Amino acid sequence: MEDDRISLAHGNGGRFMRELIEDVFATALSASELDVQADAVPIDLGDGEVMITTDGFTVQPLEFPGGNIGSLAIHGTTNDLAVAGARPMYLTLNAFIEEGFEVARLERIIGSLANAAVEAGVRISAGDTKVVRRGEGGGIYLATTGVGVRLPGVKPSLDRIEDGDIILVSGPVGDHGTAVMLAREEFGLRGDVVSDAGPVMALTEPLLAFEGLRFMRDPTRGGIASIGHEILKATGLGVRFEATVPVREPVQSVCDMLGYDPYYLACEGRVVAVVAPDQADAALETWRSIPTGKDAARIGRIVAAEKRVILETPLGGERFLEELEDDPLPRIC
Amino acid sequence: MAPGLSEIGVFLPYSPLHQLLLDALDGPVVATSGNISGEPVLTDNSEALHRMSDIADVFLQHDRPIVRPADDPVFRRIGRQLCPIRIGRGCAPRELTLPWRQSQPTLAVGGHMKGTVALSWDDRVVVSPHIGEMDSPRSLDVFAQVAADLQALYGVQAKRIVCDAHPGYTTHRWARTQGVPVIEAWHHEAHASAVAAEFPRDGEWLVFAWDGVGLGRDGTLWGGEAFLGRPGSWQRFASLRPFRLPGGDKAGREPWRSAAALHWECGTHWNATPDPDGLARAAWRQHVNCPSTSAAGRLFDAAAAIICDMPTASFEAQGPMVLEAMCRDSVEPMHLPLDARDDGILRSDWQPLLGVIADESLEPARRAELFHASMAGVVLDQALAARRQHAVTQVGLGGGVFQNRVLAERVIELLEDAGFEVYLPQTLPCNDAALSFGQAAEAAAREATS
Repeated sequence: MEDDRISLAHGNGGRFMRELIEDVFATALSASELDVQADAVPIDLGDGEVMITTDGFTVQPLEFPGGNIGSLAIHGTTNDLAVAGARPMYLTLNAFIEEGFEVARLERIIGSLANAAVEAGVRISAGDTKVVRRGEGGGIYLATTGVGVRLPGVKPSLDRIEDGDIILVSGPVGDHGTAVMLAREEFGLRGDVVSDAGPVMALTEPLLAFEGLRFMRDPTRGGIASIGHEILKATGLGVRFEATVPVREPVQSVCDMLGYDPYYLACEGRVVAVVAPDQADAALETWRSIPTGKDAARIGRIVAAEKRVILETPLGGERFLEELEDDPLPRIC
Repeated sequence: MAPGLSEIGVFLPYSPLHQLLLDALDGPVVATSGNISGEPVLTDNSEALHRMSDIADVFLQHDRPIVRPADDPVFRRIGRQLCPIRIGRGCAPRELTLPWRQSQPTLAVGGHMKGTVALSWDDRVVVSPHIGEMDSPRSLDVFAQVAADLQALYGVQAKRIVCDAHPGYTTHRWARTQGVPVIEAWHHEAHASAVAAEFPRDGEWLVFAWDGVGLGRDGTLWGGEAFLGRPGSWQRFASLRPFRLPGGDKAGREPWRSAAALHWECGTHWNATPDPDGLARAAWRQHVNCPSTSAAGRLFDAAAAIICDMPTASFEAQGPMVLEAMCRDSVEPMHLPLDARDDGILRSDWQPLLGVIADESLEPARRAELFHASMAGVVLDQALAARRQHAVTQVGLGGGVFQNRVLAERVIELLEDAGFEVYLPQTLPCNDAALSFGQAAEAAAREATS
């Protein structure tokens, strides 16, 4: 395409739009063999139980250390399928682009999206683009719908959780939320704080072999504290986080300086798993043998007698992790 | 022990065990409470063994269970009176009488720090002993137990609850789950009502509510307020120049944040700011987690951080206590400008004082004295302004800042010399422990005047 910025004509259904789709989207997504002519395409899902999910992406800034809105649009949706026990296979993509958006930037974002799709092993099978008028969008918004098949093994779900179960996390928490905040507020980039955004299938699939696996979730908006409240609300069982929740030192120091609590900050490449106590150590060892799980840790337990979410502190104290009400970090995913 | 302070708390042996211990030892004994910092005192033997095993070397236990736990109370002499800092064994539960009768029994759940519960019915109010800071699950358990116990003891079932308006307080959240109607009271208005209801008087009050921070009606953090009116009907008359607090709640234990913020607000720089990457400064500039506050307590924090070179504190108000202990002489105050803003509320501006407390050519003790004298002068100036506009003669002092003896005594002296009647709480602490009583008074007064 000839222009270096998106105009309303790129959304009018004519030549400009065709060129945008062919030159930017179809080129970047060649690995998906995207058929840009068809109104609908067949997908082959084999015999498995089909699972579907959808997510929208409005992160600001659009690009941040460790990723951008394009890669996030893949990880967010494929990870949701993965933690539910599915293998993601196909995605649809919607892009809402603001008039005046730089084409070079669009190519960068869609390029990351395409790379992330290859890494996650999914194909983009259908898509749509819209152009909104200047001032009506944050540069670009993306929405993806993911389709996958359930893998053999247990069906992780909240209602499997029992008193005494152990809570694991696949790595340090708060990196994504902190990296995005630093970038958004232009606080000066810190090389040591990078988003953890990435695929989690390598972490979720081996855990499905554990009979004692109860539940998995990726701690995105609201962090691990919100997962605690989700468990409490769904099961009525208390959640006790121990003083072992891993937080990388640079993330902790940024949080300390700004007065934020890393337990409420988003991750985009971590998994929280609830596992029966007799299999927790083995599950943890499995994670630690995987590169993205090398810093996995046991971080808590389910305590039926307590109808609360509690954090134990290193000096033997305890405090409530209250449900997030006033989001201190809006629009981070 | 108590480094930097000029006084320590003492108690006489009040139990046979104390007597035996002191007979066996050749001098005074240092004692502390059997609790995890901020939590209520541990009363169950097995729980104490479990949770204090890293702290205590030896346990001395008794086979009689503790039914109603009560910490030792703490008092401090200020001016002519002995002021409670914490109520407990021997003086709580404490009953007071309200000048209003109410139709329904009410449970007042207090604030978030120094928690107490008050049960009120007819014109009676009973205030519980000190419970603790309300962050921990154990505090909430004890709080709920004390609330149930008070109602059982007096055979009174609360039909409504009054709580602080701050939605993040543990007590506020608890109140919302109890299935009875909930009334909210604003933090500093409850402080004002606590003073006014402890000394029932006709006529209009002027009450200064100076403390750390609490949620104000405009959504900012108040704590340097002067109210005109009476319980159930307070008007904010004067305040302090607000400033933005970097890191929000972090500022409580890190006074450097208040000190740096005052400088940033004035366009100057504080060399001792422990912010090597300029992150806190950047967040302050961009209003990221930097709520606005008019809290006098944070000004005392800032002065202590600057004058005593204490960037962080290991307990609440450590810096201001050291700063107070440095004061020896009574000095002439620096006059601070007092002007009305667009909203009609008078505000004292601390900016001229910042130059003085940061002036290293002056002795630290002299700077501490100037700071205290000038803050006392703020109270006098605001009281005189109130009297010029309203026929007010009775002045109350509420909020934890008035536990500062140097400040409180100077304020009382200035106000009395100017012809005011001054009331500093003496039945209940002036700090947040009085909030439950103030909330009960607010609820009863609102009902009586509606």
